Amino acid sequence: MSLLLMAPALLLLLAVFLWPMLDYAWLSLQAQTVFTGLKPVPVGLANWERLLGDGRFWQDAAQTLRFAVVSVGLELLLGLAIALLLHQSWRGRGLVRSLSLLPWALPTTVMALGWRWILNDPNGPINGVMQSLGLPSLPFLASTQLAWLAVVLADTWKTTPFVALLLLAGLQMIPTDLYEAFALEGGRPWQGLRRITLPLLRPYVLIALIFRLAQALGVFDLVAVLTGGGPASSTETLALYAYLNAMRFLDFGYSATVMLGMFVLLLASALLLVLAQQRWRGARP
Amino acid sequence: MQSAALGGSEPGCDLRPAARQAWFAVGLGLGLALALLWGGLAWAGRPTTVRLLMPAPFADATAELVESFNREHRGLRIAVTRGPFETESVSDLAISSLLLGDSPYDLLLMDVTWTAKYAAAGWLLPLDDWLGPEPLAPLVAGARAGNIIDGNLWRVPMVADMGLMYWRTDLMAAPPRTPTELVAISERLQRQGKVRWGYVWQGRQYEGLSCVFLEMLRGFGGNWESSGEGLGTPAATKAASWLRQLIVKGISPAAVANFAEPEALQSFEAGEAAFMRNWPYAWQELQGPSSRVAGKVGVTMMVAEVGEPPAATQGSWGLSVLAGSRHPAEAVQVLQALTGEASQRLLVQRWGYSPTLTALFDDPALVAERPLLPILQNALESVALRPLNPGYAQLSDILQRQLSSVITGELEPALAMERAGRGSQLLLEASGRGSEQ
Repeated sequence: MSLLLMAPALLLLLAVFLWPMLDYAWLSLQAQTVFTGLKPVPVGLANWERLLGDGRFWQDAAQTLRFAVVSVGLELLLGLAIALLLHQSWRGRGLVRSLSLLPWALPTTVMALGWRWILNDPNGPINGVMQSLGLPSLPFLASTQLAWLAVVLADTWKTTPFVALLLLAGLQMIPTDLYEAFALEGGRPWQGLRRITLPLLRPYVLIALIFRLAQALGVFDLVAVLTGGGPASSTETLALYAYLNAMRFLDFGYSATVMLGMFVLLLASALLLVLAQQRWRGARP
Repeated sequence: MQSAALGGSEPGCDLRPAARQAWFAVGLGLGLALALLWGGLAWAGRPTTVRLLMPAPFADATAELVESFNREHRGLRIAVTRGPFETESVSDLAISSLLLGDSPYDLLLMDVTWTAKYAAAGWLLPLDDWLGPEPLAPLVAGARAGNIIDGNLWRVPMVADMGLMYWRTDLMAAPPRTPTELVAISERLQRQGKVRWGYVWQGRQYEGLSCVFLEMLRGFGGNWESSGEGLGTPAATKAASWLRQLIVKGISPAAVANFAEPEALQSFEAGEAAFMRNWPYAWQELQGPSSRVAGKVGVTMMVAEVGEPPAATQGSWGLSVLAGSRHPAEAVQVLQALTGEASQRLLVQRWGYSPTLTALFDDPALVAERPLLPILQNALESVALRPLNPGYAQLSDILQRQLSSVITGELEPALAMERAGRGSQLLLEASGRGSEQ
């Protein structure tokens, strides 16, 4: 009976998740390129061999991972700080709460175009300020180190509100009498943060982490618009590489292989995260 | 049903029910037949619509032509879809629809580099049987190349495009001819404080960088062969390291590594630079009200080492009929109208787009009106073609990636170009289009 009730949901999952995955797995065993006239030709594991030896895939994987870890880390820290601030009651809080959601509400493409202009060298406002202070203008999007920072900055700016919102919801679920009891027992406020707030917020942190990591590891639109993957492919992510292979190079077999490779890496990170969470839970009775 | 209920006894309604039903049926039948006839006539009289996807700037430039075509042709209508501004975004849009199998477009305005790819994918209709003998004969030689691939004609060019060097006539008597001269003049003008930068160009990791590079590769005596080879050569290393040195010596801003055409134009238009590499469209912009260099700009060919002919990368946009079109005959008719002499004349007069027809370059009245034409014709005679390979997008991507590493100082030119050469070699071998062909 329970299986019957679950059937619609299961079928939907199979249709939107398993079927495309199987299709990709099949495609990754074919050469379907512009050279084969877009017709699939079975090539065994050739695409997978190419993936393992493809320095660009691994470089992009490292770049994607580095981007995800740094930007999600920053977003968690900033999001927690903002959530704590918005949880306190002060005048004008409602207005600030709504305003702080603004970056999250903007479409990524619009936001990325905005940053592209802000960071423009030499005509963007940031470089305008630099020049008026007598400092040299910075080629933000023309230098491999700065372009990477720019992508992290733009992503953090946009998605911190999302994290803050999730954590704020978590904070509001914590009963206030816990803090009162803690204060009665002589606990100090900052101890309360460590002993009550953070442990009780843990499930919300985990949800935010999983949502954001999955998004960050698959980041495409922000990078495509802000840097196009350049300069010197230093901001190219795996999603962008898979897209290039499919839409620009018309190499669908290899694009599917890159997507599956990316999926394996994503799965591995999610698994690591769950394991870490279990150890974390185990460490505290 | 009783007659009483139908009010049979009332005056004027003395028909019996059966007769009423018969009359009703006849009326209904007649009405239906009339409606069908009218609908059928309207259907037959409805104009055939030819759908055409173009990048936004061309949709704007041809709006007038399309409007007058639609006025003059009763049974045929052109519906233009205004695509994105960026070249590759237009291709993405077209490819997305083509991959779904049933493309809504009959015609596509194509960049020269897409032709081989689209033809190999089977998306284009060969035009040989539709256009009569020698359809490209009225075109200047440089505009003919890149439309016939593997013996079939896939595209008819509407406007030509070639890389040019813009220079400031108020700052020097004659433009530089060699890379060394360009550097020397730039350094002198920068020292004198006449300009902030010497030379602005397109250094972003995108197709424009390949175009800039091809001109310099030719200028240093190398070539990007139509097979896709020629990147791992000493000439390629010289060209790449010359571009890098421009930034090292401060002749080009470091930001040039993120410059596309609009950024270079913006800088040159503001009077910041002595030289700019750009396409013919820039001329019109530089004479506009927002330009600080109007009337002070000359146009010439890109610099080349002594003994090497200067080169201009061939751009050009042309029309192709998609293989899935349901109205190929009408699509060809539209193609002929939009690539014809009247259309090209208006595009150069009003918008400054370079024609492809010899007749227009030879028209003294038009040349008097558009003094740039002889320079464009000259450039068209020495155009450099990018490889006509279905895998061109990937070849160019390999080159762009390595060049971008050189320009940002991440890699030594020799090593980067060796990698570009090896990368393209691997691709060509894997695709069965290696050097054995």
